[in-house]
Amino acid sequence: MISVGIDSGSATTKAVLVKDCRLITHIILPTAFDFLLAAEKTYKSVLSNAGIAETDVNSVYATGYGRNSIKFADRTISEITAHAMGVYHLYPDVNGIIDIGGQDSKVISVNGGKVTDFLMNDKCAAGTGKFLEYTARALEVPIEELGSLALVSKEPASITSMCTVFAESEAISLRARGFKKEDIAAGLIESVSRRVAVMARQAGLKQNVAFVGGVAKNAGIKAALEKELGVSLYVPPEPQITGALGATLINYKLK
Amino acid sequence: MQQFDSLNYFTNSYNLRIFQIAEERKAGKKIVGTFCLFVPDEIIFAAGADRVILCGGKNDTVSIAEQYLPRNICPLVKSSFGSIVNNGCSGVKSCSHFGMIDMIVAENTCDSKKKMYELLGDYVPTYVIDLPQRPDSPEALNYFLGELDKFKGSMEKLTGNKITFEQLKKEIESLNETRKLLHRLYELRKMDPTPITGVDVLKVLQKQYFLSADEFKKSLHMLIGEVKQVKAEGDHKTRIMVSGCPMAGGNTKVPEIIENKGGVIVAEESCTGTRSFWDLVDEDKDPMLALAERYIKIPCSCMSPNNRRIDNILELAREFKVDGVVYYTLQFCHGYNIEKYMVQQALKNEGIPMLAIETDYSDSDVEQIGLRVDAFMEMLS
Repeated sequence: MISVGIDSGSATTKAVLVKDCRLITHIILPTAFDFLLAAEKTYKSVLSNAGIAETDVNSVYATGYGRNSIKFADRTISEITAHAMGVYHLYPDVNGIIDIGGQDSKVISVNGGKVTDFLMNDKCAAGTGKFLEYTARALEVPIEELGSLALVSKEPASITSMCTVFAESEAISLRARGFKKEDIAAGLIESVSRRVAVMARQAGLKQNVAFVGGVAKNAGIKAALEKELGVSLYVPPEPQITGALGATLINYKLK
Repeated sequence: MQQFDSLNYFTNSYNLRIFQIAEERKAGKKIVGTFCLFVPDEIIFAAGADRVILCGGKNDTVSIAEQYLPRNICPLVKSSFGSIVNNGCSGVKSCSHFGMIDMIVAENTCDSKKKMYELLGDYVPTYVIDLPQRPDSPEALNYFLGELDKFKGSMEKLTGNKITFEQLKKEIESLNETRKLLHRLYELRKMDPTPITGVDVLKVLQKQYFLSADEFKKSLHMLIGEVKQVKAEGDHKTRIMVSGCPMAGGNTKVPEIIENKGGVIVAEESCTGTRSFWDLVDEDKDPMLALAERYIKIPCSCMSPNNRRIDNILELAREFKVDGVVYYTLQFCHGYNIEKYMVQQALKNEGIPMLAIETDYSDSDVEQIGLRVDAFMEMLS
């Protein structure tokens, strides 16, 4: 049984190829403008990575913001259910999931892979990857380096604006007042993690919590979230693909 | 789901009703505009006046209101206010009934509405019924009864007609009939699968305070006749109760999303739902006292404490055998947004899952809401 899961996100499109419930390979590409085009590209790449012909694929599952644009998918599933399945596959004892993606963040409360409750950020960029991407610009720091920069901060600056645009100007004014780059970076990261931690506590996430999504690659955010929530978070080796992985497990019966 | 011919009457009734109001006005009848369930139609009708609801559900007039009102107040208030003060300069058209009223009958419920009424007075004569907001205190009922007496006087002054005991009795009986009809319709929704969609029922409820009482009853009769014929066949569909803010005419966004995603709404704990008809007026008591007793008990979130609402939600959830509750609020509606926490706790204790959606009248978040609803449906299945 070969199946492919495609997670069509706002920033990146992820695909995994799974054979008999075992992850064979994955690929992550930028989504750019056209969700369908990105999905097709990712699909072809993951097949060639695995050296498998399209005709050998039994089913294609889609999830993510652009899931309904992926016409060649056999079935679609929401990314909330998909993440729960994907994370359960990796860490069966997990009770909670924090997912911070490009344009939203979500917390999911799970029991044996089944979603029991979930919360998503309101419709703005506060608490998302976009917030960091945008505000990192104000520091002239590549987004990949924002987390490690923040980790060396001794006195994080306080960033109080929830609005991404205002937070950017707040960061600029802190710069003008002579704050250190790492302290502003740490302030921005604390702002996102505080936002997400509020949701995590609302959903009752206490222990055995996994952290996934593109932002989970950011060590600074992980550290800030762990501090804020008082738990250590499981981060999968490739935290961006749990949605795509979970989508392939749709038909997998939960105990 | 089956299509019901009689629903066409509710959905296509707008022009007929406008024509009817125009005729009534020509004949000297007074038309009042209302915003809220707390205003007793019985008193308006007993004075020989007609009424039409002024709650706006359309997004177009929101920007007109924002010239006067702060941006961060609820869309219902902004849409309504924008529709009334609209002078056509911005190229947006208000629905005609907003310009066909002799007096607004308002009520002191939430802050945004109270303050809006102060401004509306400059455009249309506005009468405000004050509302005690601790409804279970012994003084509250007496005070409210006094307010309704004053309101009765103001209706008599507006119309020049004396409101008699007999007329009040008659109107109470007539509107109790409407309430009983709605109970019958809701009773049919208890079937599994339910015979009528939530979007269809919402469109009916949105016309409850728009149509004349007689027209509404007549159409409701026809609809019930049709719905009764439906046999409960087919697979179980995920049964959802919507609880929270009203959905004024023109606003069907969230119910449409829920029902497009495979759920079916079987009950609404809302002003465009059970809150409008659940309790009857006692026909054996003095009419004014009976009205005061019935209306003061409406479990609106402006009341404090509002445990009656929590009890009612749990009762409805059990009666209608719901699989989950969608807690629907309008942005900046503080009352219902804050009560969300208590409702969530109460439902959790009963093991009933809840999804909270806070939104406005724009279509900007349709995709985001769709995702949440998709995930909620997957969770419930």
